[in-house]
Amino acid sequence: MVNVEEIRDYAANLLKKGEVKSVLGFRRGSASAFAEPCTITDVGEATSLVWDPTCLNNLTLYLVKDRKQQAAAKNPDNRPVGIVAKGCDSRAIGVLLQENYFKREDVVVIGVSCEGTGVVDPRKLSAKLKGRTASRVTFGGADGINVSVYGDETETVIPAREILADRCLECRAAVPALNDVVFGEAVGAREFDEPFHAAKEAESLSADERWATWEHHFDRCLRCFACRAVCPMCYCPECVVDSTTFVVTLGTSAEEKANRIRWCERSANTSESAVYHLTRTIHLAGRCIDCGECERVCPVNIPLRLLNTKLEKEAFEMFEYQAGHDIEQASLLSSFRDEDPNSFIR
Amino acid sequence: MSNPSKVTKAEDDTQGRASVAGARKPGATFEPRIVAFLCKWCSSAGSDLAGVSRIQYSANATPITIPCSGSVSPMYILSAFNKGADGVLISGCHPGDCHYMEGNYLARRKLYLVKELLQFIGLESERFRMSWVSAAEGAKFAEVVDEFVEDLRVLGPQNRLKAKR
Repeated sequence: MVNVEEIRDYAANLLKKGEVKSVLGFRRGSASAFAEPCTITDVGEATSLVWDPTCLNNLTLYLVKDRKQQAAAKNPDNRPVGIVAKGCDSRAIGVLLQENYFKREDVVVIGVSCEGTGVVDPRKLSAKLKGRTASRVTFGGADGINVSVYGDETETVIPAREILADRCLECRAAVPALNDVVFGEAVGAREFDEPFHAAKEAESLSADERWATWEHHFDRCLRCFACRAVCPMCYCPECVVDSTTFVVTLGTSAEEKANRIRWCERSANTSESAVYHLTRTIHLAGRCIDCGECERVCPVNIPLRLLNTKLEKEAFEMFEYQAGHDIEQASLLSSFRDEDPNSFIR
Repeated sequence: MSNPSKVTKAEDDTQGRASVAGARKPGATFEPRIVAFLCKWCSSAGSDLAGVSRIQYSANATPITIPCSGSVSPMYILSAFNKGADGVLISGCHPGDCHYMEGNYLARRKLYLVKELLQFIGLESERFRMSWVSAAEGAKFAEVVDEFVEDLRVLGPQNRLKAKR
């Protein structure tokens, strides 16, 4: 069991010694049981840190944001940042280190082990509670997850399998491999789904069925770009599908405007959304660490995780590549082996 | 090369070209439109050799010369399908022959993932094809294109990723 006091003490200590400028962590949210991300800069604030199955976010996103801020700042504060990281979050940090987005000494990873469970899926939880709102969600060890609702403070144990996020059911490494300290036990065996379970299931359908599904999903896409905004790997200053930095001035000729490269239109229709999502998936090939944030934030419930895990599966099975496992490794698309699949080429 | 069926195909060419410019006429036989990304150092020269050797082959492929198969961005492929291509062919140098030493190996890995992804969302797997064609293999190039056209004829027009404007 992770003792949250230890995390608080460790974070307070880091801040007291001045080893970090801030600590990224989770605190109790203002509404319902769900935790919210927070940045702690004062020693005293460290007591507000929490750790429970509602710590959904991948905080690595805020490391990226901090990096961008410091790069634009007049007097950048380049002291390290502490971050509370689950297994998946630590892999995200690993990928960013592999890509030299920041250096190992710029980040202090306060690892927390999910200890054989994981974080809850808010949608599954609310379905399970049938409209009631959870007031407290805690780890219940091997039995599952303790949930109590507003107006009824008795705790009910819900089997973890029923409310855990899909990615946690398929997770292979719940212990942060990249860390400066780890809290909680390293539980290896997890008795949920096999890795890539959902992607394999989707593959088993016929091509027509798969297209019917994805056409439906791409059609519903609003192009709100929430998936891109929440993704720690989508850090490009300008996105290829949405070139907002094309500056139109008085001197811009009609020809320049007409000839600017637009790989897909910004309108939210099936074909353009398909290009957007497929491009994003390809750009995340070998980089996505399956934190499932894109799927969680999607307002229309598009199963975006499926696309990413499909390529993750191919990378693992065909190229023995796992994103974020080895920061010294060359990236998936900048390396090759002689035994790579060749039979599909004529 | 006086195969009558090939001659018909060559005659069909004018019709095929007309359909690229305008809308397809109802009742006309379906002529697949292929966008072929050809490596400058091999396949592009290979297609040239097919031409100067007077090999008769389907004229459905629109060749686009690229510096190396490794320079193909997945966006080229998605964009081609988005703009109405019935098939996309990417052709580069045989493994070990890349002018830039390793471009085709990188392409092989990258395009394998693109192929898998396109199949995963339900695009027919026959619509995206890759081949290794050297500058000396004019006959192979003709064969690859002919085969591709035959397969695409069976599938019919590509409407899944095509922009509906």
